[in-house]
Amino acid sequence: MIKFENVSKQYNKSKALDGINLEIHHGEFISLVGLSGAGKTTLMKLLIGEEGIDGGRILIDDIDISKVKKSDMPFLRRKIGMVFQDIKLLPKRTAFENVAFAMEVCGHRKEKIYEDVPKILELVGLMHKRDDFPHQMSGGERQRVAIARALAHRPVLLLADEPTGNLDEVNANEVIDLLLKINQLGTTVVLATHAADLVNKVKKRVITIENGRITLEQEKGRYKL
Amino acid sequence: MFHSVSFLRIIKTGLVNFTRNLWLSAAATMVMTITLVIFSTLFLLFAITSFSLQSIQNTVDISVYFKIGLAEEKIQALQQDIQSNPKVKEVKYTSAEQAFQNFKDKHASDPLITQSLNELTENPLPATLNIKANTLEDYPAIASQLQDAKYQEVVDKINFEDNRVVIERLNRILKFIVSFGVGLVAVFSLIAILVIFNTITLTIYNRREEVEIMRLVGATNWYIRGPFLTESFLYAISATVLCSLIFLPVFVKVLPKVAAYVNPQVNLFNQNIFNFWYLVLILLALSLFLATSSTLLAIRKYLKI
Repeated sequence: MIKFENVSKQYNKSKALDGINLEIHHGEFISLVGLSGAGKTTLMKLLIGEEGIDGGRILIDDIDISKVKKSDMPFLRRKIGMVFQDIKLLPKRTAFENVAFAMEVCGHRKEKIYEDVPKILELVGLMHKRDDFPHQMSGGERQRVAIARALAHRPVLLLADEPTGNLDEVNANEVIDLLLKINQLGTTVVLATHAADLVNKVKKRVITIENGRITLEQEKGRYKL
Repeated sequence: MFHSVSFLRIIKTGLVNFTRNLWLSAAATMVMTITLVIFSTLFLLFAITSFSLQSIQNTVDISVYFKIGLAEEKIQALQQDIQSNPKVKEVKYTSAEQAFQNFKDKHASDPLITQSLNELTENPLPATLNIKANTLEDYPAIASQLQDAKYQEVVDKINFEDNRVVIERLNRILKFIVSFGVGLVAVFSLIAILVIFNTITLTIYNRREEVEIMRLVGATNWYIRGPFLTESFLYAISATVLCSLIFLPVFVKVLPKVAAYVNPQVNLFNQNIFNFWYLVLILLALSLFLATSSTLLAIRKYLKI
């Protein structure tokens, strides 16, 4: 499904990614581990076309994303959901409205939005919080709203960049459980994290990045650095 | 993909942008309005001056009055002389009978004049030639040609109204309005562009979170840019409406008086350039141009797509 072929990326002469070769298959759950600044976030930014590639190529379903026109990039992004450590919810909108926003800006009709958003909120277990504003929710709940928003377009791939970075253990576990559930429903999930205990709990494929290079690939792996 | 739902949402978001920071919107609209008012004022001054100039230029001619009871051949000889002069554009001959008839027609409604005319036994009016030159500079030469000794026995009087001084002055005013006006409009356009640029930049800054999320969830580029363009269009449209409201009384009350003063025979409102809606259209085009260019600059510089 996704193929990195000798991908490299530089920021001001320092190599953020250096010769990455990686294949991600449909329905996989991948934990991308490494210290801060190892290149996890850069790898994800390249996938959604937020940053350009300096060398090599990335194929998504055999489409070279560096050849995707700028005007077509939004349609690629609808196929890839993304969540972040800093969550990025709109503070003046309720949980429902935050999820609906993703559908609104892509031109979905109101009826469709009112049909789909409750289903997604149900999936992330926050139907009872649909009218709460972000400041009225816990960190874990907020992150689950963000995941719900990322799922609004039924993406084939969900990228989670340190989604538990700001959360305590209980909340973090909630989020990871949700990601596993989404993966079970058929969505490919890539989880970037440096939380060892979470990775060990997941027991799925683990890819370790150090200084922009993949140093270790394990099936059903554990966090090792 | 760009259907009506998206279009309506873009307009709605643009409206929200416009109303969210009212003082800023008011300032942007004001600067745009001032620019349009200056433009309109100069536009009208230009139109009035060039209209006056045209009217005056058309009235300039040389009238030659012949002695009464003169034989037609002598008049025709002179007419041919004059017509052979390359500086002459056209010569119009009015015979004594024609002049008398014209006079009668003109005063047909006045019984006193009609009565006294009927008592006349012979025509008191002379035959006349009306001469128009190609350019204003040609008139003095033609006038002096007519004063030649060989015409003395046929010509009674030459009437040459020399409006050239007035015309030259009007020409200078016109040139001044154009050069000064273009400069002034350019300066204020630049100010308007800068102010709108700043306003839009601020809106972009205020909405940076929304914009970031829009990009992440796959909103198209024009969906993201649309509301900012809509906002600036609203500045342009408000300014056009305000400026038009200011100038509507001028068109209704002042312009007809000016027109009557300059040239009572021609209705200014028949002239396209004096049409109110014509001006509104020009203002709208100008303000939309200013708004679009400054917004595109701001988007280019600050809106990461």
